[in-house]
Formats: sequence, C-alpha cells, structure tokens
Amino acid sequence: MNAFGIFEVSASALEAQRQRMNVIASNMANVHSTRTEEGGPYRRKDVVFSALTVASNPGMLEGVKVDDIAIDTSPLKTVYDPGHPDADKEGNVSMPNINIIEEMVNMMMAYRAYEASVSAFTMSKAMFMKTLELGRV
Amino acid sequence: MGDGFNVLERLLQATKIRHGVIVSNIANADTPDYKVKDVKFDQLLNSEIIELKKTSPLHITANHFGQSGNVAVESTNQWADRNNVELDMEVAKMTENSLLYQAAIQMLSTKIRMFKNALRRQV
Repeated sequence: MNAFGIFEVSASALEAQRQRMNVIASNMANVHSTRTEEGGPYRRKDVVFSALTVASNPGMLEGVKVDDIAIDTSPLKTVYDPGHPDADKEGNVSMPNINIIEEMVNMMMAYRAYEASVSAFTMSKAMFMKTLELGRV
Repeated sequence: MGDGFNVLERLLQATKIRHGVIVSNIANADTPDYKVKDVKFDQLLNSEIIELKKTSPLHITANHFGQSGNVAVESTNQWADRNNVELDMEVAKMTENSLLYQAAIQMLSTKIRMFKNALRRQV
C-alpha cells in the first residue's frame, strides 16, 4: 500500500474546491450579463463532484473530482428596464438566473471544505514527520 | 520482548488506515451520494491482540488491517444530496485519531530508547 495516497486525496479535494470557487466567481461576475457567445443571457453554472478511487489504495481512500460543470436550467429572471439595449417591446429584460446570496453561501461552503482539507493535509504531514523521528534519541 | 512492539505496530497500522478513511470523508464532504466510512477500530484491535496471543508469530498473516473489508459504511441521517458527511465530526475524529497515532509513536520511541539503554555498555 502506498503511504502517500493520503496526500493525493487531500490534494484532489483542494483542486476540486478551487474549481468550484472558480465557477462561483464566474457566476457572481456575470450576475448582469445579458449576452453570451451561445446567445441569450448567462446561465448559472454549478460543479458536480464525484468520488474518485485512489488506484494505490482501492476501498479505503477516495478522493474527489469535478465530474461535470452543469448549467442550471431554471427560468431566467425578468426585469422591467425599458432603457436596456436588450429589452423587448414591453420593456422587459431577461437577466441571468443567479441569486447572489445563494452564490455567497456556496462560496462559504467551498471555503470551509477547502479549509478542512488543508487541515487534513497538515495533520497527515505532522503524522509523517512524527514517524520519521521514530527511534531518534 | 516483541509483544509490546507488535501491539504498537498494529495500533499504528490501524490509526493510519483510519486516518486515510477520515481524510477521504473530508475530501468528499460535498459529493452527492457519498456515504461516511469508518474503520471498525476497537473490535478489530481486540481481535488482533487475541490472535497474537494464541498463535505462533510465524503463522500470523501480516497486513490484516490493509483489507478494505474492515472499512464500514455508516448510515446516519443524510443531507438533501444523499451525502451524510458532517464536516465538524470528521475533523474531530481526525484530530483524535492523529493524537492516538502520535501517542503510539511516542510509546514506540520510548520502547526503542529503553532497549538502546539496556544494550549500552556500562562504563
């Protein structure tokens, strides 16, 4: 069994949470984007995580990976703003389906999960260092 | 002579494996459908020690702890995404387990030091 698989698990979690943070940042940045390359307003994106078996220790260690970046298909928000360049005849504009509060909460969750993985990593390291001192008088 | 070493070695192996399992739980705190896993620790350690006392050391299969059969899935209340990881619980478990590991290392160090002292030539 590979002793360093634990670090692989923590690193995969850090990477996944960082990617989630990137997606959340994009959502927050595009809260008012009415035009995209695909056409139409920006749609909220969300990461989908899945467990990833570590090849060296199957059955015990499970890392995490970003399986997919899913597009939220919930209805877009309609805002009355006749002066907007993308307003329709009635003066309504379709705005992205992003709730900024929801994004903030997700961001905090990602941050906490990241923090927990960092402390897991630090603890693994402390255990390894302790082992290396074994027998040293 | 070797008895204490064996017990400590088993304890180190068990805590190390448990650490890996807890770290996996923390990594998967937000993975849908993931279920918390834990090592059935006390029972395992007991049975190993009993086995140690009744068999010849030559007959003991070494890496008993390394098998995934000892890793159990816990079924507690789950969140809406069918995941039941409680991050604070896992961090607490990790700290406790790590301290146990470090205590075992400390005891092993002391034991080695005792043997070194005994072997030292008295002047």
